[in-house]
Amino acid sequence: MADIVNTLFNGLSLGSIYLLVALGLSITFGLMGVINMAHGEFIMIGAYMTYVMQQIFVSIFGKSGSLYYIVAIPFAFLVTFLLGCILEKTLITRLYGRKVDSLLATWGISLILQQAARSIFGSQGVNVTAPDFLKNGIKLGPCTFAYNRIFIIIMVIICLAAVWLLMNKTPFGAQMRATMQNRSMAQCMGINSKRVDCITFALGSGLAGVAGCSIALLGSVDSTVGQNYIVYSFMTVVLGGVGNLLGTVIGAMIIGFSSIIVEAYQSASIARAIVLLIIIVFLQFKPKGLFVIRSRSLDEE
Amino acid sequence: MAEKKENVLEIKHISVIFDGFKALTEVDINVKRHTIHFFIGPNGAGKTTLLDIICAKTKPTLGTVHFYPENRNKIRLTGMKEYKIANEGIGRKFQVPSVFVELTVKENMILSLKGHKGVWESIFYKLSREEEEHIMEVLKKVGLEERTDILAGSLAHGEKQWLEIAMQLVQKPEIIMLDEPAAGMGKPETFRTGELLKEIKKECTIIVVEHDMDFVKQIADTVTVLHEGKVLMEGNVTEALADKTVQAVYLGRGGERNADN
Amino acid sequence: MKLKEKLKGRGKHICFLVIVVILAFCPFLASSTSMVQFFGKCICYAIVAIALDLIWGYTGMLSLGHGIYFGLGGYAMAMYLRLRDNGGSLTDFMQTGGLKELPFFWKPFLHMPLALILVMLVPGVLAAVLGFFVFHSRIKGVYFSIITQALTWAAYSLFIANSKYTGGNNGITDFTSVFGSTRGTANRGNLMAMFFTALLVLVLIYILASFLVKSKFGKLLIAIRDGENRTYFSGYCVNNYKNFIYTLSAVLTAIGGALFVNFNGSITPSQMTISYSITMVIWVAVGGRGTIIGAVIGAFFINMCEYNLSSGALADIWQYIIGAIFCITILFFKGGIVGIVTEQIPAWIRRFGRKKEVV
Repeated sequence: MADIVNTLFNGLSLGSIYLLVALGLSITFGLMGVINMAHGEFIMIGAYMTYVMQQIFVSIFGKSGSLYYIVAIPFAFLVTFLLGCILEKTLITRLYGRKVDSLLATWGISLILQQAARSIFGSQGVNVTAPDFLKNGIKLGPCTFAYNRIFIIIMVIICLAAVWLLMNKTPFGAQMRATMQNRSMAQCMGINSKRVDCITFALGSGLAGVAGCSIALLGSVDSTVGQNYIVYSFMTVVLGGVGNLLGTVIGAMIIGFSSIIVEAYQSASIARAIVLLIIIVFLQFKPKGLFVIRSRSLDEE
Repeated sequence: MAEKKENVLEIKHISVIFDGFKALTEVDINVKRHTIHFFIGPNGAGKTTLLDIICAKTKPTLGTVHFYPENRNKIRLTGMKEYKIANEGIGRKFQVPSVFVELTVKENMILSLKGHKGVWESIFYKLSREEEEHIMEVLKKVGLEERTDILAGSLAHGEKQWLEIAMQLVQKPEIIMLDEPAAGMGKPETFRTGELLKEIKKECTIIVVEHDMDFVKQIADTVTVLHEGKVLMEGNVTEALADKTVQAVYLGRGGERNADN
Repeated sequence: MKLKEKLKGRGKHICFLVIVVILAFCPFLASSTSMVQFFGKCICYAIVAIALDLIWGYTGMLSLGHGIYFGLGGYAMAMYLRLRDNGGSLTDFMQTGGLKELPFFWKPFLHMPLALILVMLVPGVLAAVLGFFVFHSRIKGVYFSIITQALTWAAYSLFIANSKYTGGNNGITDFTSVFGSTRGTANRGNLMAMFFTALLVLVLIYILASFLVKSKFGKLLIAIRDGENRTYFSGYCVNNYKNFIYTLSAVLTAIGGALFVNFNGSITPSQMTISYSITMVIWVAVGGRGTIIGAVIGAFFINMCEYNLSSGALADIWQYIIGAIFCITILFFKGGIVGIVTEQIPAWIRRFGRKKEVV
């Protein structure tokens, strides 16, 4: 019984992490059709921003305390949001409709951002001390639920709810969906599609920043931390079906749970390989993911 | 034992459902050999879907399509792979001109020739004298014989349409399906295309989807009017134009209202 | 028009010939052994770039996982060389891993002919099987890229995890080339032999690739790139074509990897990473996708820049430069260096000439 509960909790927790890192991508890739290879680097920036906020608190108050982390989340969001804005205005805006090219160009950006992180923070990893309220965990009988894991689950629920509300319940969300579905039509109806594009992309980047905050709790932060998540982020989005938020949620959970289950029998890296192979085999039967949007065009892209 | 049949294509009880939406319902159409057969109807009537089914771009939910080649036994097209159907002698021109833009006109034609479709064959393929002559002959028919070495991407819109028709012809097909061949063409170009199709008719059967009624009047032998996924009527142009229901849904003002559904 | 086209085609071959001649003089002029080894590696990179160009530049399938094939070719060769230098006994990492006997899949690498066949066979079979499934289910475009990327990651994880079979993070090290040691002046002959073998392979692969691209098969690759569905409806079984060129590309990449370890003296999983795979894409993009010569030029250009810049004071800046070069190429110079020479510069000249006329 305890084993089952633990497995469930670990799966849910891992799935939440994947969902959190993939959420931003499901907006930029799923909705906008931009393959942002620098997504991992935005996660890294978010993680580093948490570290920066911690250092600021240490230098002002002498110790980091718990409050810094609460401040770090919006801070990380803001920084990556702005960076996303800049990236969209300078680069992405020239690459709409050229998916493969957007993948390559953003890879160039990711090289630059990684080097920038190394130049600023050094190539050694830095550590973020978890705030007090996230240390330890609840004990329920034989099972322990670490607070930071629970926190990530809560965080992903909040982010998901926020994205859903923004997309479905606000005028901006309506503009966003309209622009992504039919750009020229949206423009005709007076929507400033350039602004919508910019904010949408920045939003995806900002979510990566928030994910970075959570990742910082899980281990040391260095310039390659984003690279560890980028493959899973893409697989999550593809598995769920591009352009579908619910699909991304289910995709993340499938990957999370299957990883935990396979890991019970195999070492972590072999489990990783097996899970990826399972996804690839799955895509044989559903090449466009779980949830497909039909189209009638002859050659897409 | 090959049977000589009047029909070259028999579409039986074809229904297609896309996510609950009935694109086609119980469609039965016979296409006669060496005729120009038009599918017309308002937007959303299912004309393009019907072509998609014949060449296996879309799978029907129900029903079958049979092809009766001139000197061979009949072939069931439903369930076949699209490239095999193409090799059986059924060519398709798409709504948006889809020629290979980075290849020259002649290279486009070479790729469309009948036969030599395997990987190894294509590596060691050499264009024979007869094939070259055949290509030039077809290009002459569509009036592109002067432009063989130009990249297809730099042709004018109308020329692309003709090139694509030529690419079907050079395969020596038994059936050619043309989706809006006159789209984006001016009156004289459209008329020329019509005359070209009349010429081609001697060699094969032509199925056309088109909106331009002058074009239909110019060349159609048989017209099938589709409406909301069903066959409304079938006959020659005069009959179709005289039919009251056809006028109501398509030619008259009522067409717009119905097209909204 | 026809004559001009012909000259243009020749121009690219002449360019390649010049590169080969310069390379042939390199070992005699180079100041150090490491310099010759570096040029040897560049030749291997050029082979890889040609292989990648065939599937990306011509067929339009962007593989982010050619590191796997480079690595497999490299590992296969390294396994043979290591066993040969070791006299067929267990390697250090096997001993550390507690193996008592040579693993069964290492045994074929005791024999040179078998090893050379496996260098091509293992990546070839893997690519063919993978290609069969991926192309059969019509996975294409960015989905193809993402899947190859994920596979690379899986392979990389597996190679690191099974350190008693693969040497883990350190990979396979401490072996000499096929012709023996290439270090020091005494072994200059070995180095020369190795270098010219690699150069010969490059020339052969260049000829093969040029022949393929010129044939009807090559035109079909372009047709698939520009209109995959149209190609199906023209009666071609596109999956077969894609699988053939993908497998061929994998084999060529593996040959590049196998030659590479002879110059490098080691192979590590870092040569199987996603970032290494994308580095290969950078070579092709910068040189000019869709032309064989472009791939060769790109591989030499980027690696020579890296060789000169990535050591010393500029080491930190190198990553910025390569990132920026890559972005700018993708954004403004789709044809890469070859595109600049054959299209952009003539266009500028024409525009300049016209302006003069107006004045």
